[in-house]
Amino acid sequence: MAEHTPSWLVGPGLVALAVAPAQVVIAAEYLSIEQAQQSLFASADRFEEIALALTPAQKDSVAKLAGPQPPHRSLRIWRALRSSELLGYVFIDEVIGRQDFITYALGIDAAGKLSTVEVLAYRESHGAEIRGTGWRHQFEGRRGLDQLHFRADIKNIAGATLSSEHVTQGVRWLVGLWQTVLQSGPTAAT
Amino acid sequence: MSFRLRGFLIPPLASRIAPLISMLALSTLPLVAGAATPEELEARLQALMQQVDELKAEVASLQQQRGSTGPQDAVAATGFDSAGPAQQQISATPPTAVDQNPTLFGYGEISYSNPRGDAADATADLGRFVLGVGYRFDDKTRLLSEVEIEHAIASAEDPGEVEVEQAYIERELAPSAVARGGLFLIPSGMLNEVHEPTRYYGVFRNFVETSIIPSTWREGGVAVQGNTAGGLRWDIGLTTGFDLSKWDPTSAEGQESPLGSIHQELVLAKAEDLSGFAALNYTGVPALRLGGSIFTGGASQGQPGLPSADVTLWEGHARWTPAAWDFAALYAHGHISGTQQINLTLVGNPVLIPEDFFGWYVQAAYRAWDRADWSLAPFLRYERFNTASGYADIGAGLTPSPLPDQSVWTAGFNLILGTGVVIKADYVDFRAGGDGDRFDLGLGYAF
Repeated sequence: MAEHTPSWLVGPGLVALAVAPAQVVIAAEYLSIEQAQQSLFASADRFEEIALALTPAQKDSVAKLAGPQPPHRSLRIWRALRSSELLGYVFIDEVIGRQDFITYALGIDAAGKLSTVEVLAYRESHGAEIRGTGWRHQFEGRRGLDQLHFRADIKNIAGATLSSEHVTQGVRWLVGLWQTVLQSGPTAAT
Repeated sequence: MSFRLRGFLIPPLASRIAPLISMLALSTLPLVAGAATPEELEARLQALMQQVDELKAEVASLQQQRGSTGPQDAVAATGFDSAGPAQQQISATPPTAVDQNPTLFGYGEISYSNPRGDAADATADLGRFVLGVGYRFDDKTRLLSEVEIEHAIASAEDPGEVEVEQAYIERELAPSAVARGGLFLIPSGMLNEVHEPTRYYGVFRNFVETSIIPSTWREGGVAVQGNTAGGLRWDIGLTTGFDLSKWDPTSAEGQESPLGSIHQELVLAKAEDLSGFAALNYTGVPALRLGGSIFTGGASQGQPGLPSADVTLWEGHARWTPAAWDFAALYAHGHISGTQQINLTLVGNPVLIPEDFFGWYVQAAYRAWDRADWSLAPFLRYERFNTASGYADIGAGLTPSPLPDQSVWTAGFNLILGTGVVIKADYVDFRAGGDGDRFDLGLGYAF
C-alpha cells in the first residue's frame, strides 16, 4: 500500500513518523483502498467512512439474510458522494480463503445494484483465479440476495472453490447489511 | 480518511485530537516566555475547554455508534474483534496485517472397501492423515508444508508410511507472479494439486490420475506461477525427475502405475537428469476450466548400465460447472524413450518397461440436494486406461504384448456436510481388463 503523508500530524506525531517504515507492503496487493473506491464509483468526488451500529436484532436479520459465512477479519464502509448526492457505498471486507484472508471491495449503489468485485489482496498459494475479470464481473449489475446464489448465479471456479464460495458468501453478508441498515439511509456517519 | 503509521491505522478521531495536542503544546509556549497577558491566557483556556467539551461529546457519540457489522462466527473463528470500523482502526492488528501465523490445516480420509464376491478381502483403512503448516516470514515470503501418514501406522511391521507431501517456500515476484522452491506438487491434471477428499468424487481417487498421473506427484525444484487478469494461469518449472533404475521387473507395481514406481519424491533423489514442466489453465469464462500440461526430462540419471532415457507425460483437461452440474474430462499420455536397450537387459522378467501408457475419463456429477449446511451429489464416471499400451520392439518373441485397455464405471455420491466434511459411497465396476469390482464407503475431511 502506498504510504500517505499524514498532514494532520504535528509535534510529537512527527517524531513517530520519523521512525515509521518507509512503506507497508501487503502480500499480493493489486489495488489500494483509494484505487478500489475510484474504480467502483468513478464519478464520486469524495468518500466518507462510516461507523455502523447494529442492534442484536439487526445483526440476526443480516445473518439470516446472508446465510452461512466463512471467517471474516475486518470490514470497512464508505459512503461514495458527489457533492451532497449519495451515489452508494463502498465495502472493503476480508474473508478467509483456505488459510489466508482475501481482501476484496464491493460497491452497492443507491438503488442496491452491485458493482463488480475488486480483489485488493490475495494471499493463498492456490486459488488466485478469482482475480480474473471473468469471475469478478459476475457480480456486476446484480441486485438482491436472490441473485447471489453460489453456483447457480455466481459460478464456481474448479480448483478455486473455497475462494469462490467464501467471497460470494462475504458479498451476501454485505448485501444483507445494506438491506437491513443502509438501504433506508445510514443512522450514523462520522 | 485514515493513515497508516508503523502498522497501525490512525482513526479519524485522532486527526481531530492531534491539532488539540498541538494547540496545547503551542499554548504553553507563551507561558514559558511570559509574553501573554492574563486575559489572553484566559481566552485561550476557554477556547481549549470548549474544544475538549466538543471532543468528549464526539467520543461519546462514536462509542454509541460503535457496533459489530461482521458475522458473529467470524469473531470466534479468527479471534479478531471484528467490531465496527472505529474499533478496527485502533486495533493493534490492522486489517491488512499478516496474522494467523503460523497456519494449521490438513485433511484425512477413512475408507471401507468390499470387493465383489470376495468378502474376505474387505478392508477398512485410515488411508491418509495429513497435517499442514503454513508460515509467513514476511509480506511476500511464506512456507507451505504437509506431512502425511498413510495407513495409520508406519513401522517395520506395518505397511504405513510417513511422507512429506509438500515443503516449499513461495516468494512473490510481482502482484501476478510467484516463485516457488522446494518440494511441491506438479500442476498436472485436475486432482494432483487439489487432492483433498472433499474436492473429488468417489471414495478413492480416480484410476487415471493415480495410475497414469501418479498423484500425489511432487518433485523438488523451482517454479514460477503467474495469473493474468484475463483468467490465464501459467506455470513453468525445473525439477527433479524420474529414476528408471528403480524399475523392478519382478514387481507388478510398474503395471499399476509406471511413473508411480519410478518417482523419487525428493528422497535422496538422483539429480543428474533434471526435468522441466509447463502448464496452462484458463478460467476466464465463469464455470469453465480448460487446461493442459507437459512434464519431460531424463530418467536414466547417469546410472551404470542405463542408456539415455526420457520420460514425458502430457495431459489435457476440461471442467464445466454450470449451476448444480459438474462435468469433467481428462486425457493423459505417458511416453518413455530409450526403453529398447534397457528392456533387452530385463528379458525373462515378468514386467518390462512400457514405452507408452495412457488414460482418459469423463465424469458427471449433480448437486441434487443443496441445503445451507449439506448437499448431496450423485456422480458417474467412465474411465479407460492402459499402463502398458505399447512396448519398444526388442525382437520377435521378446517384445511383450501390450496390455489390454481397462475400462471401468464408478457410480456413487458425495454427501458434503458444511464445507469441510464428506461422506462418500460408490460402486466400481470393471468392464474390461480388470476384476476389481467393489463397493466402497468413505469419510473425509479437510480444513
